[in-house]
Amino acid sequence: MRLATLQKKFVSNLGVILLAMVATSLPAQQTRVGNIDGHASAGKKEYRRSCVGCHGPDGDGLGENAQWIDPKPRDFTAAVFKCRSTPTGTLPTDDDLGNTIHRGVVTTNMPSWLPLTGQVRADLVAYIKTFSPRWSQGHGTPITIPPETPTTVESMLRGRALFQKMECWKCHGPAGHGDGPSASTLTDSKDNPIRPYNFAAGTRFKCGETNQDLYRVFMTGLDGTPMPSFADNLKPAEAWDLVHFLRTLQPVKTPEAAAWKTWLKSNANSLKPIGPETQ
Amino acid sequence: MIKWFLMQTRSGKGARPTVFIGRASVTAGLVLSTMALAPPRATGVSPTSYHPPYNNTGPYSAAPIRLSSHRPSYGSTVSERYRQLMMARFNKALIPAFARKYNLPCSACHTTWPELNSFGQKFRDNGFQLGNDRDAPIWQNPSYFPLAVRTTPMWHMETTTHQPVDAVRGDATSGTVERTITQQGFDLSGVDLLFLGTLHKNISFGFVPSSDNTGSFHLESAFVRFDDLLDTHWANVKVGKFELDNLVSEKRFLFLSANGGIYQNYHFVPVGDATTFGLGDNQVGAEFSGHSENSYTRYTAAIIGNSDGEVGFSGGSQAYDAAVTVSQAFDAGSLGIQRIGLYGYLGQRPTTFETTAGAAIPGTGSFNKSFQRYGVAGDFFLGNLEFLPLYLRASDDAYLGTATAGDQPLPAGARAPKWNGGFLEIHYYVNPQMIFTQRSELIRMSQQALPTTPSNLGNIDAYTFGYRWYPMMTSRAGLALHGEYSMVKTIGAVPLSGDGVGLPPLSPDTPVWSRSLLFGLDFAF
Amino acid sequence: MQKPGFFVLAVVFLVSSGASTRASRFTAPMVAPGSVEGIITYTGTPPKMKPIDMAKEPSCAKQHATPVMTESVGVGPGNTLEDVVVYVSAGDMGGAATQPVTYEQKGCQYIPHVAAMEVNQPLEIYTRDQTSHNIHPMAKVNAEWNRSQPPGAPPIKVTYEKPEFIPVKCNVHPWMHGYFAVLSTSHYSVSDDNGKFSLKGLPPGKYTLTAWQEKFGTQTQDVTVSSGGTAKVNFTFKATPY
Repeated sequence: MRLATLQKKFVSNLGVILLAMVATSLPAQQTRVGNIDGHASAGKKEYRRSCVGCHGPDGDGLGENAQWIDPKPRDFTAAVFKCRSTPTGTLPTDDDLGNTIHRGVVTTNMPSWLPLTGQVRADLVAYIKTFSPRWSQGHGTPITIPPETPTTVESMLRGRALFQKMECWKCHGPAGHGDGPSASTLTDSKDNPIRPYNFAAGTRFKCGETNQDLYRVFMTGLDGTPMPSFADNLKPAEAWDLVHFLRTLQPVKTPEAAAWKTWLKSNANSLKPIGPETQ
Repeated sequence: MIKWFLMQTRSGKGARPTVFIGRASVTAGLVLSTMALAPPRATGVSPTSYHPPYNNTGPYSAAPIRLSSHRPSYGSTVSERYRQLMMARFNKALIPAFARKYNLPCSACHTTWPELNSFGQKFRDNGFQLGNDRDAPIWQNPSYFPLAVRTTPMWHMETTTHQPVDAVRGDATSGTVERTITQQGFDLSGVDLLFLGTLHKNISFGFVPSSDNTGSFHLESAFVRFDDLLDTHWANVKVGKFELDNLVSEKRFLFLSANGGIYQNYHFVPVGDATTFGLGDNQVGAEFSGHSENSYTRYTAAIIGNSDGEVGFSGGSQAYDAAVTVSQAFDAGSLGIQRIGLYGYLGQRPTTFETTAGAAIPGTGSFNKSFQRYGVAGDFFLGNLEFLPLYLRASDDAYLGTATAGDQPLPAGARAPKWNGGFLEIHYYVNPQMIFTQRSELIRMSQQALPTTPSNLGNIDAYTFGYRWYPMMTSRAGLALHGEYSMVKTIGAVPLSGDGVGLPPLSPDTPVWSRSLLFGLDFAF
Repeated sequence: MQKPGFFVLAVVFLVSSGASTRASRFTAPMVAPGSVEGIITYTGTPPKMKPIDMAKEPSCAKQHATPVMTESVGVGPGNTLEDVVVYVSAGDMGGAATQPVTYEQKGCQYIPHVAAMEVNQPLEIYTRDQTSHNIHPMAKVNAEWNRSQPPGAPPIKVTYEKPEFIPVKCNVHPWMHGYFAVLSTSHYSVSDDNGKFSLKGLPPGKYTLTAWQEKFGTQTQDVTVSSGGTAKVNFTFKATPY
């Protein structure tokens, strides 16, 4: 009886001690990717295993390989991230970071880390967030993406007009080949030259491949790059129009491009070329 | 044409050295231990007289007369197998060229090199592509070259017990006694030149010229692979010479010593069995494979030529083997990734050949007899602990088991030899740069080909432990300080991998121990 | 051993300086505020400003009869320097400026070239151009954002929370270059095209003034402001041609 109570006492004490240890070891901000809690201490190990070569031991993007890589690896100490669901100037959500690790960044050195366990990816996100004090502010509120409007040629035409009006072509080029008049002058926030996306290069974007991902790109901007946010200037319906048009610039694999090509056969002459206004 | 074949055969035979001490003599010993035991028992010769004379010049002198005269390539097949086996220790695919190409540290793709982790597995399954649209060589810096080199300078000691030696040194007529033979000293492994890379998007290649420690090269593997046929990861094809899709790969494992550097289960054939096959040998054929996006689900189905990886039709017939693997991995949260898989191999080997003036013509084998290997393997993680278990069930046709030509009557009471095998390998990752390893391995005959054979003849117990320390871990090259001790016990035969003198003991129920101690500098660039 | 001691000292200093600031504010009504005036000059050879080719943007090019010059070192008559931010870095920091600071894009130029503001002071960015701009202040301490502003778009209204000199650029028009000087004081002035600055409404007391020029860095001087008086402080930067 006495022994049992002693045991109980010991166990409960142990519990308290353990709890206290857990509580003190928890990072200031919680990290949660999907439904998995990330732990920075575990993430550090995985970071050293897989990430350190490019992003560097201090997370400053100055790993041993950085000099050979273009575009340069992300500097986590700056806490500026391209792929976000949150407005420009705000920090991405944990899921945004998790998605980037999951998906990789096409046309860069960042591969998809899909084969890692969800736990490892969550831990990595937690660890990445230890490199900048900005994370104490918390992340931004994700933008809402209204339902996609119908994919019609009319929508693509409106999108085409926006491509002209918003001067997307200045960087991305009249045909979306990334060869606009300003393209050669572009630099990222670290003054490294950066190329605008060439829509003819494939169907994937740096921040995903769905229409929603594309919508998100120009409504949140790609922070740290010349790509601004158009959230102040585009209504949701217009943004969807632009999405539909941009899809026509891609290889014919997109349904939009196929529909557009068909329409173009009989209507090509009615289109004013994209580019500088010729009065 | 035939003349050419014969010349090849003869030169191949003549080229095999026959020195007593060292590897060359092991060749003879190995051949004898696996092959030469059959005739005495088949003909009822007493066990004590079955060990061959020491001045034997190869397997021919001791192999069954019928088979040897009908299968001139028989001996060379065994020798090829043995050579492969020796080379298995050094043909571990780890490719710093990929690290250089992709600027990833070794540890991104390897738990510790050369063993792959889940990320490396996906990379390999994608045809050496990361899938970021920068895989094709056209995107690479022109100075990038897809070559990696690996070799291992080392010090090692090999000890084999119960070796029959001349009672009086140098006097072949002095009678035979058993002694323990120990050899030790500085040594070299061979050199692997690992050319692996992509030719184009979704077209990759690999070829691995590999030398033994005298610098004599052979082509360890050579293949071209096409990925994402029909635009899906589920359809890829690879043609050439390559490792079977073993869940627990012998080409990527963490052991180097003579005894520990092979999986006994991947090379074992019963004493006296004529089957030339090892799951761990690189095979020549075509492999169709597929995998899920994250490579958690994988399958392969391969058609394999029946020469056990040997080129030039030697030892083969107009029949094919089939290999199938399937595995599934699970995300077990903080424990890691758990993978379990099934494998099966159904093979056929000819037992006779067409002959010219009594000499066999390669590739003309007939009276094919079948054998099978199947089982289950796993790769389980408990945090920093990795467990690699394997179970093998194997059987050979009675003709193969007794080395009898298919058009001849079987010896009295002959049956299909059957055995069970398995191992459990455990790794403890202190960190990606320090790892401790150990492995226990067993093989048990469950049915000998001949009822008169002792039931435990050929049984194997093996144990290996070691460490690997990687003092540096960069994205350019790798270096590991490797230490390993291994011991193997085989009943009535010299252990398959014995690097010391390799002759069967005087009595078939004597357990022969072979032990290896190795300290090496394993480096790859 | 030295570090904690230094820390304690620093804390004491901060607390006492905070207290004295509050005290001086209470006494402020008793005395008239003073001001500081001065001229920013340079010695040496400043870099030559280069003409900007706006041919790629005809709508802007046609607004300028003569080519616009780059503005990283604005030179006035008598070796004076334009666009130098002079502000209080120690002393009474004032505070809570609410007057919006405006920043304009006109003829593909930023006007003014340098906009000074207190932290949390409203900043309004206008476009007067017939071309799309993107405003990309490349903040390091504050959040970096990047917004497009097509012709006729309403002003972008933002605030910055932390002091920082933030380079601003338009990626579409790479020659467009400016600065946001976000300061922890409401006592600031930007020198005009004659190099003149003036800080008004300073409670009497001791101040440290800092002058910041985007190429030549910072300089500091101490100054005492008397009740109702005007203190003279001149800064001289050593100019280098590169």
